[in-house]
Amino acid sequence: MAEDRNRARDRTESRDEGTRRADVRDTYDRIADHFASTREYAWPEVEAFVETHASDGTGVGLDLGCGNCRHAELLAADLESVVGLDVSRGLLETGHARALERGFAVDLIQGDAAALPLATDSIDVAVYVATLHHLPTRTARTASLDELARVLSPGGRALVSAWSTAHDKFEETEGFDTTIEWTLPGGETVDRFYHIYAPDEFEAELAGSTLECCEVELSSGNCYATVTATGSNA
Amino acid sequence: MNESLLDILCCPLDKHDLELEDAEYDDDDVVGGELVCTECGEAYPIEDGIPNLLPPDMREETPA
Repeated sequence: MAEDRNRARDRTESRDEGTRRADVRDTYDRIADHFASTREYAWPEVEAFVETHASDGTGVGLDLGCGNCRHAELLAADLESVVGLDVSRGLLETGHARALERGFAVDLIQGDAAALPLATDSIDVAVYVATLHHLPTRTARTASLDELARVLSPGGRALVSAWSTAHDKFEETEGFDTTIEWTLPGGETVDRFYHIYAPDEFEAELAGSTLECCEVELSSGNCYATVTATGSNA
Repeated sequence: MNESLLDILCCPLDKHDLELEDAEYDDDDVVGGELVCTECGEAYPIEDGIPNLLPPDMREETPA
């Protein structure tokens, strides 16, 4: 019965799935330049992950939802090559500019986190940071986790993060959908979709995917999980 | 786009290999052309050196 309900939900969601994901693309295209200018520094949680899992200068990295490539830049220092993927062409342009300014190499791709254009087992180290919560349906979010598991090589590692109800900003204890305004320099506001995760919901969603959780933590109001592909031997 | 990237790219829909067609080069960089799925035939444009591999239903231009 649960499966029937899931199928019914999938059908409802799939009707406007593409349109809603394209909306996310349009939102970030509109705010790309200003957004990128406020995203200067890498997150310390990501720095720690990269230090632990990408230190020998070999392998292929992936920054999934790369935005201005601040985390691709970290990966580029420690890996043979790095792919930066984002839904927004505007954000990819800011990533390209940052790579030129700072002299690091990143292969940029416009793509959808829920339908990755990357070969199975092609990625050794991935960061999927502050992106999952922008996918507008649970179907898309779960698909993106399964896609991450598919592209990770055996023994490959990924860091997944999402905004959570544990943040001071929220009073809710259950996960919920919301929009959060981005204010452009002229005062114009642009709504951005978020699914705010309850920490146990975040863990359950990972457990329901083909990823395997190695470690989960809460930090600065975000849920973080270090994951590998199920069945990975390393 | 570096041509060696093709080794790890695939069609976002059916995950089959992509073939580079009508490539335009600037030195060693591929700056234009199309990536075509060897299975379903879907063509993905390379726009100013960045391949647009969004699924077709997300690729359409923003309505005015």
